[in-house]
Amino acid sequence: MLDFLPKQLFLFDPLSLFFIFVIFIVSLPSAIYSLGYFTPKANPCFAGRQAPAAEKNEYSSAKITLFWFLLVLFVLSMCVVVTVGNVLVFLVAWEIMSLVSYFLVVFDTTHEKSIQAGTIYIIMTHIGTAFLVAAFLILHKYAHSFDFAAIKNVCLIMPGPTKDIVFLLLLVGFGTKAGIVPLHVWLPYAHPQAPSQISSIMSGVMIKTAIYGIIRFVIFLLGVNSSWWGVLVLILAVITCLVGVIYALMERDIKRLLAYSSVENMGIILLGVGLAMLLVNMKMPYLAAFALIAGLYHLVNHAIFKGLLFLCAGSVYKATGTRDIEKLGGLIKKMPQTAFYFLIGSMAISALPPLNGFVSEWLTLQVFFLGALNSAGGARLFLGICASMLALTSGLAAACFVKAFGVVFLGLPRSNYAQSAKEVPLSMNFGMFFLSILVIVFGIAAGLVIKLLAKVAAVAMNVDISTMRFSLYNPTLTAQVGLPAKELGKSIYLSTPMIALVLIVMGLAGFVVYRLFAKGKPVSYQTWDCGYYKLDSRNEYTGTAFSKPFRIAFSFFLQPYRKTQKVRESFYQVKSFAYETHTTLVFKKYIYVPLIALVLKSAKFMRRMQPGSIHLYLAYIFSTLLLLIIFMHKF
Amino acid sequence: MQAVILFTVLVSTYLMVIAKRTPALIRSFRYQSFCLFLVTLIIALREHQLDLYVVAGLLFILKIVFIPQLLYRTIKKIKASEDLGLFINPQLSLIWALGFTYLSWVFSTHLIGQTDAVRVILLAVAFFVVLAGIFLMIFRMTALAQIIGLLVMENGIFLLAAMVSGGMPFFVEIAVFFDVFVSVLIMGFFVYRINKFFTHIDVNKLSRLKG
Repeated sequence: MLDFLPKQLFLFDPLSLFFIFVIFIVSLPSAIYSLGYFTPKANPCFAGRQAPAAEKNEYSSAKITLFWFLLVLFVLSMCVVVTVGNVLVFLVAWEIMSLVSYFLVVFDTTHEKSIQAGTIYIIMTHIGTAFLVAAFLILHKYAHSFDFAAIKNVCLIMPGPTKDIVFLLLLVGFGTKAGIVPLHVWLPYAHPQAPSQISSIMSGVMIKTAIYGIIRFVIFLLGVNSSWWGVLVLILAVITCLVGVIYALMERDIKRLLAYSSVENMGIILLGVGLAMLLVNMKMPYLAAFALIAGLYHLVNHAIFKGLLFLCAGSVYKATGTRDIEKLGGLIKKMPQTAFYFLIGSMAISALPPLNGFVSEWLTLQVFFLGALNSAGGARLFLGICASMLALTSGLAAACFVKAFGVVFLGLPRSNYAQSAKEVPLSMNFGMFFLSILVIVFGIAAGLVIKLLAKVAAVAMNVDISTMRFSLYNPTLTAQVGLPAKELGKSIYLSTPMIALVLIVMGLAGFVVYRLFAKGKPVSYQTWDCGYYKLDSRNEYTGTAFSKPFRIAFSFFLQPYRKTQKVRESFYQVKSFAYETHTTLVFKKYIYVPLIALVLKSAKFMRRMQPGSIHLYLAYIFSTLLLLIIFMHKF
Repeated sequence: MQAVILFTVLVSTYLMVIAKRTPALIRSFRYQSFCLFLVTLIIALREHQLDLYVVAGLLFILKIVFIPQLLYRTIKKIKASEDLGLFINPQLSLIWALGFTYLSWVFSTHLIGQTDAVRVILLAVAFFVVLAGIFLMIFRMTALAQIIGLLVMENGIFLLAAMVSGGMPFFVEIAVFFDVFVSVLIMGFFVYRINKFFTHIDVNKLSRLKG
């Protein structure tokens, strides 16, 4: 028999099935969206001015065929990654996924920025893969097999320090893909440059495969060894949340903004996962399972609403030809449908009830509170701090999307780009429509989703969940019934249909009250006119201005600086005045730039060893040989 | 008999190391190859194997007649100086070579042990020839010296195989012969081309080709 073939190549346990579900739920609308994205533009809305770069190179039919091929390969490779039961095949599929996504990032090869972004992406992803290979080789050394089952068995008897090393290697390896700070640098480059439906899949699904990796390898196979693993993941997650959202708030490229927001949301997902790791080590398996449920819930939610938002951003880009939010504005009148979908996505990502983002962030917070209640001392403080940081993140995320939606869709058009926008074709709208429906469904049907996710978490954590009860129709959602006395804390209650009902009733009531008692009749002015006349788009509040308070509040981290330039005709007369404000990219400046400089410097040093003389090269071989003989003599 | 041959090999190798001009080097290479031919012939006579006779014949034709002839012709054709271009003068080279002899003896005693003196010396000489080949390649400037250095290394390996194990398998031997033959042809051609382009065959000056 061929004994190098694994005994069980694929495993379709609930964890894998859940991730396949997530993959298809985002890939499908994105594929439909692509139909519209590649249709040539027939309307003459770009007549009279220079067409934006995206429209200049109409996609040839061969290129579109290539795109579909890559897309299918991409989705398939992700499916293999989350279902395969063999480390070697996992690695191959992982690499195919990385390479195909690289080709999709550089799909618009005419942009020089795409190539640059692709290079950053492929370097980072391969650094990550290198760490994964190291971890897998250590596992193989112990298990003498690449099968998950054998590795799971051997992990029970593996010495603790080895486990720690494997965990750290896996964390760095998967963390690079997941965009954990400070390994997040590739996301804001790669996501904006890819075609939008690809950004949607990459941000919505591909980076989630890293979470799958962490759950599968660290929690499921390796088994959490000591509590500092969970603490480390939680600290990284908190940093990731805050850094992601602060950068997102500062960003003026809409797709980069979404990419940074992905970093933030990965942090929130990791909060759930890390808390599960911590709690399972504090001998609270039910709460740990609950934490994992929260993390997985946020994972599927983020896949849905970030997919939706990227598709919306793609529509805006397609319609206007720019991604700079300072050049957009007033699009709600030109593209009402896209605006509506973007609003839904923004509300969900800002965790407004009753949409899905609210449910998962609320659950995460609840688990933190329950964990804090059931622990004491330092752990209690730590979990409390984590919870407060999560709350801060949610608030900043809301501010970020107020900015994104307000500047892009409200107000007056700030440039010709926005002036001449038109609604996008039906297939693109359908993709967004589908995802917005899902946003609402995953919010309203929270009880049902949690029940399903509980099965997934149970498999991943190896916890018996038959004692946990969830109900959808009963307005209380109880995760605590039947828990051991130690974990029996306060029950938590959630019913999103109820919240939705209350909100609708209150909204209707407010409207009725307003219609009944409102005096005077409305007068229509220009948008944001404030009673003045002749205001134009130059008077509008810009995105940069909106984020200024945050720039000041977080100036210790963002380190903003400004450049001014005066052009004088004479000493007394300033002809023009230029003012720029920037923020310092801390991680780039203090980690990556010195690191790259170090690599180049050592490469320059190594180059001295390679002077081009054949004699010297031969001498290297010769002296090595002699040294080996002498060495052999010595020992 | 074997002792005499081994001694001749050793002496011819020392001669190569102290040679200053290319023809002298080729001549010593011829002597060395002739010793190898004798060794193979002796083994063939002792064991009465046809393939060993064939190997010996090939050795004679290639390494004693053909390759030296080719090298002589190349020298004549390129009309370059016969000087080898020494990085290390003959006296110092000889000291180095003696050092290598000692090292290879140390190596072979370490590998085989002190008990089997004959085999130790066999291995030491063979290994020394390999080291001397590399030495020639490194410390002589012209490209021709490097070709000969490579051939000397090959001789050393052949000697090792022939004396320690009574020769490699026939097909391996044949393959190696063809390898050597073809590589000498190609490298001879290269030397010719290098000379044509740069009007010298000084490998030391080729470092400017590096990007």
